[in-house]
Amino acid sequence: MSTTLAAGASLDFSLAQQLTVIALCALTAYIAHMALAVFNDGVRPFLLDFIQGRTTRSATTAVSFGLSAGFIFGLGAPMALSTGVLNPWLLFLPTDILGMLSPKKWLAPILGGAWGAVVVFGLNGANNVAHDLPVDFITAMQQMSTPILFLFTLFPVLAITKQFGRKWGGIAGLLEFALVVMTMKLWPNMFAGALAMAVGVLMLIGLAVAKDLAQRKADKAAGVSEPVLEGDDPMASLFSASAARLRRYLPLFMVLGAGVCVLAQMHIFGGGEATSFLIAKGQYSEAAQVDFYRVFGFIPLIATTALASGAYGIAGFTLVYPIGYLMPNPFLAAIVGALVFAAEVLALSYIGKLLGRLPSVRDSSEHLRSAITDTLQLAILFGSLMAANAMGGGLGILVVGGLYLLNEAMGRPIVRMAAAPAAVIVGGILLNLLYWMDLFTPIKG
Amino acid sequence: MTKILAGGVGKTEVTNTIKQLGIEGLEVTASSDMDAAMKLRVAQADYYLGTCHTGAGASLGVLVGLMGSAVCHTFGRSVPTEEQITALLDEGKKVFGFSMDQIDTIAPLMARAIAARG
Repeated sequence: MSTTLAAGASLDFSLAQQLTVIALCALTAYIAHMALAVFNDGVRPFLLDFIQGRTTRSATTAVSFGLSAGFIFGLGAPMALSTGVLNPWLLFLPTDILGMLSPKKWLAPILGGAWGAVVVFGLNGANNVAHDLPVDFITAMQQMSTPILFLFTLFPVLAITKQFGRKWGGIAGLLEFALVVMTMKLWPNMFAGALAMAVGVLMLIGLAVAKDLAQRKADKAAGVSEPVLEGDDPMASLFSASAARLRRYLPLFMVLGAGVCVLAQMHIFGGGEATSFLIAKGQYSEAAQVDFYRVFGFIPLIATTALASGAYGIAGFTLVYPIGYLMPNPFLAAIVGALVFAAEVLALSYIGKLLGRLPSVRDSSEHLRSAITDTLQLAILFGSLMAANAMGGGLGILVVGGLYLLNEAMGRPIVRMAAAPAAVIVGGILLNLLYWMDLFTPIKG
Repeated sequence: MTKILAGGVGKTEVTNTIKQLGIEGLEVTASSDMDAAMKLRVAQADYYLGTCHTGAGASLGVLVGLMGSAVCHTFGRSVPTEEQITALLDEGKKVFGFSMDQIDTIAPLMARAIAARG
């Protein structure tokens, strides 16, 4: 694996990019103010009481702040600082809060836009400073992409093992490994895990659908009448009222979809936990694959929380991320993003009904999400240690690994996923201080 | 017999953690949020423990909408004390959400507090 660095490692945002981020943050804050969408899946269920007038704006803001603050400072900020790439936790969680906080409709976009400005100028400044340091931790972070891509390839195997047991897990594991080896041999220019991931995900979904169909057949034969979604009046009526509310605002959602898709197209934004590292290295098609598979893990979660609350997700089903990365220009991205969001909002009701009939598919998505987390946690930890090694050898590993372990021992004030990258930043600053004190000689990259 | 349903992303881990405690009179099963909402409404289950990364989204999911936020509580990413949990149970909370990376701490706490109520 070569350690040469991408030429585009330094990210300077152009004026158009800065304006896009500011405008999009203004829009997302306005949408959050109207309780039409929030990025944080955890806040969404709590919006129902606000929409129905059973709770106050300030109480909802408190919930939003309580559930998001840790992710802004513990995930969004360290990821952005260590990659130089924007991410949704840094942009959209604060606009969730600011929009909800704003007492007046006109103030929400102003607050959101101001936050967008703080992020682009702050991150630009921090990046420029970091790149000029004798020990450059942002460049060292490029080590992340190999472990992320190769370990992420295995996420369907973990999900299959958790949901369908060791036998299927073993089969999936061997099959994926064979496909990776085969891809490397036959198509050396293609990402080695591409085919393996596709087959793994298809296998998981196939197993889940087969299980559900078999279960329904068995139920029919046994004469069991399962309580279906339509039969449950409160659920059905809640879901259809929510879907109707979202459809009323379809044009606004189309503008939102266009905005998020354009942001992804500009290649200054990574949507998933690990995608920022890939975007930073310029591996756009790999980033699109990773975020495309991630969508399967989130559709049921976002659909059910949206239908149960009447508020949608700021990035929808997050399908606009991978589409955005692959779009040739921002104009096309805007059109496609708007169309994707329109289709998502119109299909919500149908997706909810379908998911009600397929419990195993819903289960699969949860196993997928937990498998994605497991693979990325290891990959990001290992990648961070590789970055530490690139920065300062054993001393780097001592600092970064030590800080990660300390975070664990303290009950994880920083989210586990972001603890190691945050440790790389701290370690990088520390090594620079040691360099100035003449106690450390940087390793020649 | 008190019936606990575990849901969300870490449903398997929560179920296993509580089963390993071997507490008498507790039955814990992994479930989906929709099934759990129905079972809780018709009193086929007593409590729901949901888990995800935030401790609220996938954890509580549709339960807030279907059960009402009065019976739901999320710890977010925080770790509660035994007294806090007991106080919440006394208030009549049935649905709890907490974060994936705190399962090994919170799941036993919840199980013991629920078991203590009999």
